[in-house]
Amino acid sequence: MSRDLVCAAAALVLAGLYWREADAIPRSLLSDAVGAEGLPKLLAVTLAACAVLLAVRAVRRRDGGRLRAWREHARPLGVIALGAAYVGLAPLLGYAPALALLIAATIAYFGARAPMPIAATAILGAGALWLVFAKLLGVAMPAGALVRWLA
Amino acid sequence: MNELALAWKALSAGWALPAAVAGVVWGIIGGALPGISPSIAMALLLPFTYGMDPVTAIVMLASVYVGAEYGGSIPAILIRTPGTNSAAATVLDGFEMNRQGRGGEALGISLMSGLVGGLFGLLVLVVATGPLARLALAFTPAAYCALGLLGLSVIAGLSEKSLLRGFIAALLGLMLATIGTDPVSGVARFTFGSPDLLEGIKPIIVMVGLFAVTELMVQATEPDWEKAGSGAAATRLKLPDLAVWRRIWKPQAIGAAIGTFEGVTPGGGGTIAAFLSYSEAKRWSKHPDEFGKGSVEGVAAPECANNVVTGTALVPLLSLGIPGSNSAAILLGALLIHGLTPGPMLFERNPEVVYGLYGGLFAANIAMLLIGLVILTPCLWLVNRPKPYLMAFVFALVVSGIYAIEQSLFHVGLVLGIGVLGYAMRMLGLPQLPLVLGVVLGFMVESNYRRAMVISGGDHAVFVQEPITLGLLLASLAIIVFSLRRELRAARTSEGTPNG
Repeated sequence: MSRDLVCAAAALVLAGLYWREADAIPRSLLSDAVGAEGLPKLLAVTLAACAVLLAVRAVRRRDGGRLRAWREHARPLGVIALGAAYVGLAPLLGYAPALALLIAATIAYFGARAPMPIAATAILGAGALWLVFAKLLGVAMPAGALVRWLA
Repeated sequence: MNELALAWKALSAGWALPAAVAGVVWGIIGGALPGISPSIAMALLLPFTYGMDPVTAIVMLASVYVGAEYGGSIPAILIRTPGTNSAAATVLDGFEMNRQGRGGEALGISLMSGLVGGLFGLLVLVVATGPLARLALAFTPAAYCALGLLGLSVIAGLSEKSLLRGFIAALLGLMLATIGTDPVSGVARFTFGSPDLLEGIKPIIVMVGLFAVTELMVQATEPDWEKAGSGAAATRLKLPDLAVWRRIWKPQAIGAAIGTFEGVTPGGGGTIAAFLSYSEAKRWSKHPDEFGKGSVEGVAAPECANNVVTGTALVPLLSLGIPGSNSAAILLGALLIHGLTPGPMLFERNPEVVYGLYGGLFAANIAMLLIGLVILTPCLWLVNRPKPYLMAFVFALVVSGIYAIEQSLFHVGLVLGIGVLGYAMRMLGLPQLPLVLGVVLGFMVESNYRRAMVISGGDHAVFVQEPITLGLLLASLAIIVFSLRRELRAARTSEGTPNG
């Protein structure tokens, strides 16, 4: 299946879902003639039309580009998994420990292997950013339930 | 004179001058690192500017832009790897000069051409923005709606090869902009019961996700970039002498003219300006056969052009509120974070921000010259750091910075989600800038459209009765038709070739 056809299909599905959600927006007494659902519905219709045009063009020209194999996207998605793990761990461990783990995991994920430099970079990097954000800029970073419980 | 006094007062009152220097340093370093574009360098610095006063924050971010355009030429010349997209044209002759042992000379030409371009771009910014902003004061809500549509049409139609794909990306951005609370009735839209989405998705979340997180994902499968050898590390910058200046003033003038046009046009940008300038400089040169073999003109033209854009790309942003490039979009995000609305009212309500920015850009260009003379060695050291450590540094800054702005891990997760969207868009061949513009302009388009409908009592004739509005809509239509014709012509040409 060509890249353009996949793009068109995804856009069409999105347009349908978006229309469905737009239709469910409650009508308010404060609404104007257009309403809260007016622009969303127009966008859904326009997106569907563009998707159909793209699909037609892809079928006619037969040059809609090739998609990469699915397994080639595993490594990029792994980066997101690292970020998601940080989001999950930060409330538990706190900002600095969770960030140190993220830094270490990212360095290893991108190919570095020597454990001592990785660990040193993770600890020093997390410490430095904690100093900058929490102390210098005065931002309240996640405290960590586990750390609070231990304290 | 009053404006000069305002600029000096805004600069000298706070930390704007040191911020300009710091911004240039960070910009040169960020620009020198392959994989970190000027917009990513600006986005990573944005959280640090949160607690600053608006003038200092905007000057710092604009200075990053200035510095990054020069910084990108350092690895382009020394290791044939452009640090920024707009430095790709500099590789053609810059690296050849380096191979001939003239790397220091190439860097000197790059630095001085960048200075000339940056100051020229600033002059255009100062001269053009005021009158354009005064014109925009006459805009009605219908005209603002039409202006937003024009901005989206230009970006969707001109910045990419496919109008359809550009439109789809712009529509996605407009759809993201509808998430949150309806601006008229206050009804929640597309929040799925989440209180974190009631305020909508801020443009900065989208920009950091699309520019930084998507790039991290892409870099996960890209090989490491080439490192600078000991030869490159020993290079000493050499400023151009009179004989070289006589050769490079004309390509600099060509770069300045093209950079002005491309910078002011939304969707233009430094990369297109650099390549166009290179080809035009070659066409008008007395020594065209030297291009590609180490021509000084081949370095001067693109480097001047991409630095002109650092000033001229701010013209539509400051006067009309429409960012013409990714980096200008980051500046827009910064203005919004500090409670400022770019456009003509910025001149009326916060003139110190505008004139402080002018003064800051002047200081940034001078700082770029001074810092550029000494920063070569630290830049090369950083370029030689292993890629995994740089990627981890970027990732750590992203998650920390977004939390610092939003105080919410939900938004950190949202940035990751936008990153996945950006990655999917890259894989599907959808351009990113129209989506960013859609998010940025979505509120402007919808709220002004509905305001126009309330004023006219629901009569759409207001869009054709007002001359300015009609003119803007016709311009949008013209751009769409032009883009469609160009695309159809390109399709016919490729169908006509034996392999097409």
